[in-house]
Amino acid sequence: MIETYGVTKIYPGGLVALRDINIKISRGEFVFIVGPSGAGKSTFIKLLFREELPTRGQIFFNGKNITRMKNREVPLLRRRIGIVFQDFRLLPEKSAYENVAFAMEVTEASSREIKKRVPYVLEKVGLAHKASAKPSELSGGEQQRVALARALVNNPDVLVADEPTGNLDPDTSWEIMKLLNDINKRGTTVVVATHARELVDGMRKRVLQLDKGVLVRDEERGVYRNEA
Amino acid sequence: MRLRTFSYFFREAFISFARNRWMSLASIGAVASALIIFGSFLLISVNFDHILKDVESQVEITAYLKDSVDTGSIARLNTEISSISGVKQIKFVSKEAALEEFKQQVGKELLEGIDNPLPNSFRIKVEKPQDVARVAGEIQKLQGIEEVKYGKGVVEKLFKIIYWIRILGVAIMAVFAAVSIFIISNTIRLTVFARRREINIMKYIGATDWFVRWPFLLEGMMLGFIGSAIAIGILAGGYSYLYNIVKLNVPMISLIPINEFYEYALGFLAIGMFIGAFGSSFSIRRFLHV
Repeated sequence: MIETYGVTKIYPGGLVALRDINIKISRGEFVFIVGPSGAGKSTFIKLLFREELPTRGQIFFNGKNITRMKNREVPLLRRRIGIVFQDFRLLPEKSAYENVAFAMEVTEASSREIKKRVPYVLEKVGLAHKASAKPSELSGGEQQRVALARALVNNPDVLVADEPTGNLDPDTSWEIMKLLNDINKRGTTVVVATHARELVDGMRKRVLQLDKGVLVRDEERGVYRNEA
Repeated sequence: MRLRTFSYFFREAFISFARNRWMSLASIGAVASALIIFGSFLLISVNFDHILKDVESQVEITAYLKDSVDTGSIARLNTEISSISGVKQIKFVSKEAALEEFKQQVGKELLEGIDNPLPNSFRIKVEKPQDVARVAGEIQKLQGIEEVKYGKGVVEKLFKIIYWIRILGVAIMAVFAAVSIFIISNTIRLTVFARRREINIMKYIGATDWFVRWPFLLEGMMLGFIGSAIAIGILAGGYSYLYNIVKLNVPMISLIPINEFYEYALGFLAIGMFIGAFGSSFSIRRFLHV
């Protein structure tokens, strides 16, 4: 479902963020992308939802070459990809419900669909009781659940998370990981970039390790770093 | 586009308007003042134009006939002049009629007992003021004409003045339109900048560029609309005040009545909204590339 062929990303100024990356991620997989800061994890995530274009190489999503995609097709791509960030990126004046509903409003869904779907996903992430709370009234873990609900509400093919637990304490991080696992069990492909060793070691999922922009390891049921 | 989406756009525009109350008011004020200056100039130039047209239409040619010309020749000259292209009206003024007129102007007593020194003449009006010089020239060539007079020089000067006023008018309009666009685009830039995170998020969750753009366009159009409405109100009030003063005190100057300007008012609203939309699309472009 996600395939990259010889993907290289060089930022203006000459920084090589990724070098010749060849990866296949199949439907229904749970994949960790690990590596220290600056290894190219975030760049890889950005390439997936086309915030960045690769300098060389091709990226396919559901068989479609997204590096050759026209700009006006990008919104449609992003509706198939749920995105979660380290800093949650919720709209501060909107309630949890409104933040999630917003992702559907953007797709011009009908209000009937929105009224049906939003409570359902909030329930799934365990936040039904805090639907009317503003982000400032929620804990970090709760905010990340709202972000997860928002990422899921349009039924994406893949959920992409960039350091989703980076701002959370270990217990809360585990809860988020379990939630991601649940989401994956229900059929959504999940790609998580992280450098949280304990989480990766505890989950035993496929691990793609990046180091200085190079893919150095691709291991099923892997741990954070086997040579350490 | 769904109706609810559209109402969402309006809601967002109003929310951001209310949130940036002072900035919005400032830019409405700026747009209003720019349009007031622009509008004042417009009113002046349109009225100037109108007055000059009035003056132009009063420019007539007087062709004095030689004393030797007899009644038959007068009739012939009348036909000949009438057939010159561009002539609108021709009127024969006999020696006697001219004297009567003169007497009325200077007073009967003064001219009592004097031999009539005035010649027969034609007074000619032309269709277009531009034709005055040419028509005068053609009349001069006819047989039996002693002398042709018209506001020579004056007509040409008036034309130069009107020409320059129009050029100046267009130039000033362009400058003020640019200033207004600049001001609105700065206001919207602030709104856009304040909401760049939001725009960012919208783009991440798959909003199209137009979905992001519309609320800002509407906001800009709203600012432009309100600004121009205020400008129209102030201009209309000020103009009718001046109109009445001029009418009472300087009756020979005929200004254009205020109610003939309502098409301009519609144009102003359109210009205001266009400036707003243009200004905001200007400042949002850069933030759309996420």
